[in-house]
Amino acid sequence: MIRRITLVLMLVIIFGVFVLSMIDLQSLYNTSGKDYFFANGVFETGSLNLVTGIYLDYRLFDSLFEAGILIVAVSGVMWISQHEIEEKNATFMFDKQKTPNLFVTFSRLVYPLMLGFGIYVIVNGHVSPGGGFQGGAIVATAILILYYIDINKTTDVAKILTIEKILFILIVLIGSVGLITRGEVFTNFFTLSTSTNLKSIYLIALNILIGTKVALGMVAIFTAFLKEGR
Amino acid sequence: MSEYISYGLQVLLIVIAIAIVFHKRNFTIIILIATFGLIAAILYLMNKAPDVAIAEVAIGSAIIPLIYVVSISRQREFIVLDRAQDGFITYGETFSGEGYEILDQFVKSYDLSLNLCVDIRGSEQDLTSQLNVDLIITKDTTRNLYILKGKSSSVLMSKLRQMVKDKPNIRVEVFKGGESND
Repeated sequence: MIRRITLVLMLVIIFGVFVLSMIDLQSLYNTSGKDYFFANGVFETGSLNLVTGIYLDYRLFDSLFEAGILIVAVSGVMWISQHEIEEKNATFMFDKQKTPNLFVTFSRLVYPLMLGFGIYVIVNGHVSPGGGFQGGAIVATAILILYYIDINKTTDVAKILTIEKILFILIVLIGSVGLITRGEVFTNFFTLSTSTNLKSIYLIALNILIGTKVALGMVAIFTAFLKEGR
Repeated sequence: MSEYISYGLQVLLIVIAIAIVFHKRNFTIIILIATFGLIAAILYLMNKAPDVAIAEVAIGSAIIPLIYVVSISRQREFIVLDRAQDGFITYGETFSGEGYEILDQFVKSYDLSLNLCVDIRGSEQDLTSQLNVDLIITKDTTRNLYILKGKSSSVLMSKLRQMVKDKPNIRVEVFKGGESND
């Protein structure tokens, strides 16, 4: 009973804090940031899609931790699903729900299109909606469909995790090159006066790295779930 | 006009969210979750956030349902480790044998799917706790007896014992299993 009362009290307090923070919202909400990005964003970052401009240039520091979260999540899933039993010779006779033929054929048809669309979204992240994370998720979905086409596909998850770590270090390094060329860390390594076309090289490179990393991470998580207890 | 569509979609979102909580059948819930992600993505798009919409479609209505499908179908599996391998269950194009018929009948009556495996080494405790093996078949050659071993905490074991009680060459044993640590 006391437990329940404390629970309700805590909920009321949290709700009160929430309402109190909402009262101040009017003074917090202003358009100065929006106006600044609208006026200078394209020239400073070289990205027509301002969202990409913000998360790869102005706020790369935040994006790094976002990329780090995925590595931590993948490592956690791998750690939970580990076991010491030797299972090299394990042959599972019934290890599949029979995938319907219609689904297999349709997956084969759709797979290249999905892969192509994912890569398009990654590479065009700075001109059209999308970017590394979104494109990576689409590519991951395309790769996951392969498991439904052929359930016996094997993936070395430990190797994927290693590649992911290397990619993460690469992202940090590319973000840090700006320290030499521009004197600032975690921003575009081309100086502010260079043309937007040159600047977009940096955006495309980072988008491809982040896209690959996200795709590999999602595949690793899915594989860990699929092979759990196998 | 688009306002009204947006309001309608928001109401639908709430309805689907309530349905997800109260629905009983797991696979229907997965479809509902995918629908939820799709409608949320449409709403993001209508509120001029196409980047978020793409992410929501890819994650919320493709990857998450796929992971759920895999996890739930894993729950409905009855994993049997065959250590006897002498005709109790015969392998080939189709499975047959006395043991297979019993197990097949058993899993069908409880709406599970049978998963047979051979050649996994390890102690019984480790197998049940780490690899989720439900049943281990061994053979007592001196008495010509097949022994089906399973965790004592599993409800299915007593059901299985009921099923094979009039078969003289099969005995069901339970042991105090190592509980899974996750």
